[in-house]
Amino acid sequence: MDSYLLSDAESVVARARQGDETALEALYRAFEVPVYNLARRICRTTEDAEDVLQETFFEVCRSIGRYREEGSLWGWIRTIAASKALMRLRRNKYRDTDELQDELVGNPKEETHLRMDLEAALERLPEVSRAVVWLHDVEGYTHDEIAGMMGKTPSFSKSQLARAHARLRRWLGEEVAT
Amino acid sequence: MTHLPIETLVALRESGVEPGTAAAREHLDGCPHCRAELERLHQRVARFKALPALRSGRDRWPAVRDRVRAERRRLRARYAGFAGLAAAASVAAVVGLGSLRQEASPLSPVEIEQAMTRSRDLETALDRIDPESRVLDGRTAGIAQELEDRIARVDQQLEMAEMMEQQARDTRVLRLWRERVGLLDALVDVHVTRASKVGL
Repeated sequence: MDSYLLSDAESVVARARQGDETALEALYRAFEVPVYNLARRICRTTEDAEDVLQETFFEVCRSIGRYREEGSLWGWIRTIAASKALMRLRRNKYRDTDELQDELVGNPKEETHLRMDLEAALERLPEVSRAVVWLHDVEGYTHDEIAGMMGKTPSFSKSQLARAHARLRRWLGEEVAT
Repeated sequence: MTHLPIETLVALRESGVEPGTAAAREHLDGCPHCRAELERLHQRVARFKALPALRSGRDRWPAVRDRVRAERRRLRARYAGFAGLAAAASVAAVVGLGSLRQEASPLSPVEIEQAMTRSRDLETALDRIDPESRVLDGRTAGIAQELEDRIARVDQQLEMAEMMEQQARDTRVLRLWRERVGLLDALVDVHVTRASKVGL
């Protein structure tokens, strides 16, 4: 993905390490969309996601000297972004994952007919569940990695993912008739 | 027939073998309902991955850049303060530990301290000129900005040099501090020349 987003990643990183502002901006321009997308999928508001975008790149600019090129550049930036987004959730005292259950589940029979679109269903998930779904299913993090970033156990991550999919299945009207 | 719970279906997508996975797979082979559920799950995830990327409505780079610049200024101020402490320490070293000087490495720390002290003096001179409050013509401002950026880069490299091994670090730090002094000298020159030109 690095070469797809930034064709001359190696030279840009080398210049960024020397503090070259144009190279730092090149990093921002190359990765701003995936970082914002990740932040927005996890955070509740666009304002929070924009703050995460800013925090992420400030950290990238400060720490680029510590990037060891052992993994992909995008992988490194993505982990910073995910950590910042999860930190934002914690700071905003996210709603407990069970808090919304009654409110959201409502009458299962009615919900079956709602057939929300995918965006709306994802948006409707509680913050932590949505973060787990996105980080695991889309970004490809393991439950161990997610647990590490969230300060929870892998079992917590697994159960959040299963419950989120149970809800999504219902809201999207995807339950298979028995 | 009891079908597989969602937890098991979700877990079946993982590459690792968890307890009960073999039994679940066996069930899956003989249960079209669970196979359909698993297929829906795969499709849902594929649809997540295909969602269009969301884009920020605002350009946040200027804010990031301004913070980076502010951070660099803060670091420079810190090094200037550090140079003052180092100068004081060097006096103590000369007075109290003079006899140990002969055992110092070929690259005497005094040379680094001298460069740091010179750097601090130039920072003080620059503060007296108060360049922030003066209006510069475009060309001069460009030169001053270039020098400021190069000083910031040297500061960043000084910070990174702290992680190097002693001998290599001393050599690198001395070179960087001398480079910093040269750049600061040039920066002071730029402002002094400009000030004398317009009679400030």
